[in-house]
Amino acid sequence: MTADKTTNVTGDLAANQPDAPMRRERPVVSAASARKIGERDTMSLSDEVAKIQVNHLDLFYGADQALKDINLMIPEKRVTAFIGPSGCGKSTLLRCFNRMNDLVDICRIKGEIVMDGKNIYDRDVDVADLRRSVGMVFQKPNPFPKTIYENVAYGLRLQGVTSRRVLDEAVEKSLRAAALWEEVKDRLQDNAFGMSGGQQQRLVIARAIAIEPEVILLDEPASALDPISTLKIEELINELKQDYTIIIVTHNMQQAARVSDYTAFMYMGNLVEYGDTDTMFTNPQKKQTEDYITGRYG
Amino acid sequence: MTEQNPGTPTLASTDAKAAQPLTLTLTRKAGSSLLPDLASRNALRKKRARSDKLARWGITAAGYGVVVALLTIFVYLFYEVAPILRGATVNDQHQYTLPEQQSETFRLLLDRYEMLGIQYTRAGDAVFFDSASGAEQLRAAIPMPEGARVSSFGYGETISNTVVYGFDNGTALLARHAFSISFPDDQRVIVPRLDFPLGASAIQIDQQGQPLTLITTEVLARGAATTAVAAVTQDNRLLLARITSRNNLLTGAVQLSTNVQTLPAIPGRAQQILLDKSLRNLFVLDDRGVMHYFDIVDPAQARLVESVDVGQGERVTAAEFLVGSVSIVVGTESGKLTQWFLVRDESNNSSLTLIREFDSHDAAITAIAPEQTRKGFIAVDAAGQVGVHYGSSSRTLYLNKVSDRVLTNVAISQINSRLLWLDDQQQVSSASLWNEHPQLSWAAMWNKVWYEGREDPEYIWQSSSGSDEFESKFSLVPLTVGTLKAALYAMLFAMPLAIAGAIYTAYFMTPKLRGVVKPSIEIMEALPTVILGFLAGLWLAPFVENNLPAVFSFFLLMPLMLLLFAFLWTRFPSALRSRIPEGWEAALCVPVILIFGTLCVQSSPWVEVWLFDGSMRQWFTDIGVNYDQRNALIVGIAMGFAVIPTIFSIAEDAVFTVPRHLTQGSLALGATRWQTVLGVVLPTASPGIFSAVMMGFGRAVGETMIVLMATGNSPVVNFNIFEGMRTLSANIAVELPETAVGSSHFRVLFLAALVLLALTFVVNTLAEIIRQRLRQRYSNL
Repeated sequence: MTADKTTNVTGDLAANQPDAPMRRERPVVSAASARKIGERDTMSLSDEVAKIQVNHLDLFYGADQALKDINLMIPEKRVTAFIGPSGCGKSTLLRCFNRMNDLVDICRIKGEIVMDGKNIYDRDVDVADLRRSVGMVFQKPNPFPKTIYENVAYGLRLQGVTSRRVLDEAVEKSLRAAALWEEVKDRLQDNAFGMSGGQQQRLVIARAIAIEPEVILLDEPASALDPISTLKIEELINELKQDYTIIIVTHNMQQAARVSDYTAFMYMGNLVEYGDTDTMFTNPQKKQTEDYITGRYG
Repeated sequence: MTEQNPGTPTLASTDAKAAQPLTLTLTRKAGSSLLPDLASRNALRKKRARSDKLARWGITAAGYGVVVALLTIFVYLFYEVAPILRGATVNDQHQYTLPEQQSETFRLLLDRYEMLGIQYTRAGDAVFFDSASGAEQLRAAIPMPEGARVSSFGYGETISNTVVYGFDNGTALLARHAFSISFPDDQRVIVPRLDFPLGASAIQIDQQGQPLTLITTEVLARGAATTAVAAVTQDNRLLLARITSRNNLLTGAVQLSTNVQTLPAIPGRAQQILLDKSLRNLFVLDDRGVMHYFDIVDPAQARLVESVDVGQGERVTAAEFLVGSVSIVVGTESGKLTQWFLVRDESNNSSLTLIREFDSHDAAITAIAPEQTRKGFIAVDAAGQVGVHYGSSSRTLYLNKVSDRVLTNVAISQINSRLLWLDDQQQVSSASLWNEHPQLSWAAMWNKVWYEGREDPEYIWQSSSGSDEFESKFSLVPLTVGTLKAALYAMLFAMPLAIAGAIYTAYFMTPKLRGVVKPSIEIMEALPTVILGFLAGLWLAPFVENNLPAVFSFFLLMPLMLLLFAFLWTRFPSALRSRIPEGWEAALCVPVILIFGTLCVQSSPWVEVWLFDGSMRQWFTDIGVNYDQRNALIVGIAMGFAVIPTIFSIAEDAVFTVPRHLTQGSLALGATRWQTVLGVVLPTASPGIFSAVMMGFGRAVGETMIVLMATGNSPVVNFNIFEGMRTLSANIAVELPETAVGSSHFRVLFLAALVLLALTFVVNTLAEIIRQRLRQRYSNL
């Protein structure tokens, strides 16, 4: 782990270098591959168990098409990263998985997203229930204006849990899982706004995993955080993939390389390339992908 | 120097570098930079600094101006109210010798202009003297019957200027002092004289010719010119004479007819007789301190109703009626002062009841002088103390030792600003008195007060009347209760509608519909309240009265109807339902409300016939609930309409500004929209909603026109929804135009204004503080 940390930090430093020539040497990729060595030799989508299958998904905002015929398989208990330039539709796609796009009046969807053999856009799907099993963490930490304890217990209360004992246990378990327990165990009754941004984001993750989802959607979870907090979140993601299927949207290529098993590159509403992260970053199949990850645009 | 660089385009950078030293700036070639040259930029900078400074001063001055204006209002109100808090003061005391010292002084008086003192003596003289120096101006003698001597003296109410002399031959003579006022050379000249209203010859009261040892008189205030004289003879008979005078139209002669009745004798020795000016009640005080109350409505059947120990074990040394001759103030040998009047019980029997006690003097009360236009009195005692007391407010405004001698008599002028008192050394003291607002005290304004003629202590607001004898009733309780009552019913109507509407509009309604609904409700705020007021008073009040069942069924059943409709809607075929986009459901309720409303009104007469014997209003009266046409229900609805926009607008903002990421966070955790509203939106918006409610409450408390026009303005103390109320604000609007500037009434209205201002100020400040807290709380989201 210590080795990981140092390489990650180097990666961050490299990422912070504004000069383009540095990037072309792909220090990122080497760091990413260094981590992967020893874990598994090769990864392939065809070996994985599908958690979610996206079939011919089109999404329209009014007359504008934001997603164009997306076909994609999300493997179970892996980290899948969506990368791409701003406005490419990666967040929109992410929000399709828990139907957050329903909240947008002018949004229309065609095609299907099958999760565990069931199309989540079927009429008989209960959206609230779907969202319980597909948790989501947003770009900006959004704790409720309640105590730390109540923030984590909120989802459980929604599910009808009233027993104090069960709540206590679940809160502790979730906070431990989010690597936050040691920091906050003495001030569970304090307002969540008193925490640092990184702590808030981990609290939000704890809140999400408290209701035992199967999939966790992370929408640029570290983009508003400092490097140390980012590191903690990334370590947390690594831990969480033991139990959860994780989909992460990120602008940070190094982050995608560090945390994800599979990466999808999107551009202008199209899924350009999708494959295991190592391959994507070392030997992308498409010129467009290479140009993006080497920093020619974005 | 550094400022130059960012402004310089990169293309011209080489030229700009050469031009950097300040001295060279002006020589820079025109066109090398697109920005104006340094000189004009310096000029601009100066100009900007000037306008910055100007704006800063202007805005600061305006801000302080607002604070100063508000403070000035408070200070002015305080300034107008402050005299209420002052007690009485007695100043400029000076002494002179009584003009007539040989003969005992029966009565000491002071005229309306405080220029003349009047002394009635045992010798039968009325001596008018200069109240400042004691110089005698006129001495008028009453025509004594031949061979008779004065054996007793009595007087009617001070303001009637009437006295009566009783003689030892059983006759009596009425006298009245009067003044003619003229203004030669713009100087007021008062010429006193003595009149004899029933003629200059004495009237036989006792047919047996016994000396009259006690006597009193009263002139009937209303009806035929009747004068009553009550007297006690030497052999202790109690006589009551009614003297009617008739002018002979032909000769102009005055004919007197006298009707004398002998009343039942009292046990003990009579000491004083008090006859009220309605000639219905007669009180005889005996030397043991017992007051005997006679009912003399029909003199022929006069009866002793009861005997009350008003001295409470002590000897009574002075007793007088307060103005209006309803209350009796009793002073005892130990200096105790008590007020008594007749209180009627349920079976219509009156009994003399102890109403209140005043601060005690240190020695026996020797004389009491009632104020002539208010319910106050001056008492003097054997220890040289002068006390200024007031009935309704139970206040003792002044109690001080002014002399080392025994004071024997006291007089107060009609305008309550000068006192004369007499000591046992025949010295008169004259002093100016300041006693403007004795009626007002904390207790008189906020506690129950036992007013004259009432069965119990009560909260009453009844500020003025045409009569001088009127007892002002300045309880602020009915007005405050009325204010709160109006605000309460308005809030009851407005709060659920405004808050629920705000939540729906902000959170569920589609933006398009919201764009129509929100401005329309906010524009309601601009509706002049006077229009709401007269609509409520002239249209709504009669409508509600005639359609009471409709109003009730509408308010009670409408929520149920809406729920029923919502339930039915879920059962509608989905083809129909999908035509209505989400967020437009509210529009569907409009026809439901209209149809149900019409139904309620149409069915109202039938409901009245079936359930309420034809008239629900009558039915309420029958079960003992008072129903006024303009009542709290009407005010609640009308003022509710005025308050809804305030509450709605602020509450809607509070709900709408709950950050989207919070609601999305909740929804992403598997909450339904309703759960999100209850779990996240409402708690987060609650301070804003609370502040909205407070703002609405503040508005309802201060609202004037609607309550003025839509209630009967009766200052009642109850929360009955079918009765009216009078609010502080409406009361000020109604009474301020007709009050005398500087009077107690005037000042108490200012106090009401101060209470109102303080109330709204506190409520609004509280709301604003909560709003600030809310802002602070969300600044870190």
